[in-house]
Amino acid sequence: MKAGKRKRQRTAKPGGETYVFRLFVAGNESNSTRAGGNLARLCEEHLNGRYQIETVDVLKDAAAAHKNNVLVTPTLVLLKPRPKVTLLGNLNDTRQVLAALRLTGDER
Amino acid sequence: MATPKRRAQRRDAAGPRKRRKELPKVQTGIAGLDEVLSGGLPAGRMTLLNGGAGSGKSLLGLQCLLHSARAGEPGIVVLFEERAAAVRQNAWSLGWDLASLEQKNRLYLMDARLNPEAVVSGDFSIKGLLAVLGQKIKTMRARLIVIDAVDVLLHLYDNPVRERHELYALHEWLLDRGLTTIMTVKTVSQEEAPSRYAFLDFMADCVIHVDQRITAQVTTRRLRVMKYRGSGFGRNEYPFIVGENGINVIPITSSVLQHRPPGPKVSSGQARLDDVLAGGYKRGTSILIVGTAGAGKTTLACVFAQAACRRGERVLYLNFEESPESMVSNMLSPGLALRPLIKSGTLVVQSYLPEAMGVEEHLFHALKALDEVQPRHVVVDAISACTRMGSERAAFEYLMRLLNACKERGITCIYLNQATGLDIVSEISGIGVSSVIDTVILLRQLPIGGAMKRELIVVKSRGSKYSEQFHEFRITDRGIDVVKA
Repeated sequence: MKAGKRKRQRTAKPGGETYVFRLFVAGNESNSTRAGGNLARLCEEHLNGRYQIETVDVLKDAAAAHKNNVLVTPTLVLLKPRPKVTLLGNLNDTRQVLAALRLTGDER
Repeated sequence: MATPKRRAQRRDAAGPRKRRKELPKVQTGIAGLDEVLSGGLPAGRMTLLNGGAGSGKSLLGLQCLLHSARAGEPGIVVLFEERAAAVRQNAWSLGWDLASLEQKNRLYLMDARLNPEAVVSGDFSIKGLLAVLGQKIKTMRARLIVIDAVDVLLHLYDNPVRERHELYALHEWLLDRGLTTIMTVKTVSQEEAPSRYAFLDFMADCVIHVDQRITAQVTTRRLRVMKYRGSGFGRNEYPFIVGENGINVIPITSSVLQHRPPGPKVSSGQARLDDVLAGGYKRGTSILIVGTAGAGKTTLACVFAQAACRRGERVLYLNFEESPESMVSNMLSPGLALRPLIKSGTLVVQSYLPEAMGVEEHLFHALKALDEVQPRHVVVDAISACTRMGSERAAFEYLMRLLNACKERGITCIYLNQATGLDIVSEISGIGVSSVIDTVILLRQLPIGGAMKRELIVVKSRGSKYSEQFHEFRITDRGIDVVKA
């Protein structure tokens, strides 16, 4: 019971919204690849399949980067649920990323 | 057998024909700056503009870009700090229409402000920026790019090694595309801390430092070229001003004296004074009139100005003591009618408050007036007021450069100097300019028999056989009258 509650808090609320991400990468440069891997892992661990990730390669689609004011890669944008969150970098700091995405519970 | 050898030797003796390849340059469009840079910024390379807040570096960058854009070379401004709309608005105040150039695809303001709420987690690169920029460069065929406040971007890294690495990568990227780049960076004064971005100075091919400083409550702006790979440049500090249509760098005073030889004599406006001066003043020379308050300096100068104007010779009268209106009405008393001359445009009076601007700005206005009015004669009333431009040094600079400008153009230059003490002779020097003055006239007042008697004497007059005596003169209601000795 206790364990279950903790688990729930560490992940998204049950029955909650689907998390919609857009990840801007620059081809297969190392930071972009790493960010993609980190994001996939975090989603698997915390979102029980309730997520969508759209990956945009700025090297192929500069217009999209321009439209979204993306200057650095990788850039991760959480589109839903609101409010929008923007993260820069390879997402190596798991704890910080979870906090920014409002996915932290009482694990610490 | 020996012939070909000898021929080869001869060629050596004459020296191999060196064809010095001039570095290709891009004009900044700022006349004085192009002169300092021996033609302009290095084409296809990076120029670094550094300076403190409000030093004018962003403006300088924008102005260079604008010049190119107007000449048909498209350019991009990457703004890390300011909103594009604000830049457009500020440019309007200088009469620059950025929007119309943007419509013609000659100019693009790229808003590159970073989202302040973005969370940084782990390493990243500026590939996104480069992708957007690369596409824009291609579609616009941009040749010039201004990267404004690159320090804002660098701050994001919070890591000196990464900062440096990214910037070198950016530099390479720009060089690969053959872009002429101007990068502006904020700096703190070098005494305070060796700049964190000192490495930028090594990276860039040309480094220009701009600053503004305050001396005696008057702000002056200066720029200095710190380095310029592969090109000569002016190594001094050069004053510049932000005028009503942008930055103006005061042209360098030529190191060679290129004064025109003095011309024929020109009447002083008073026949007997002409006799004293052995025919009058020499055209294109400099004249210093020294005297105590009320000795008649302004009157003497106005007599000359009126006579010159009536001959159809334009006179520029720079007045640091009174407004044109009060000068005109005061000169009615000795019977001088200046108003019609001002109306016809032959007499141009410009009054300035000396402390209102720095020396550079005063000089800029004076040189501009020389170009616009094209006078034959210039009067400065009075050089003693010029010390209020900041310091005696400032006044000296102003007067010397104005004098040089006049002599190069063959303009007669009359300086009035108000002596404060009774020992006028020691004040002739007039802020140290007297050595370059050709003619010095001294006015004095003596109390004789319950009245003040005015006297004048020519102290010096290069290349003239002038009278060496004191001559009494009166200010009448029909000008001045020199009493026959």
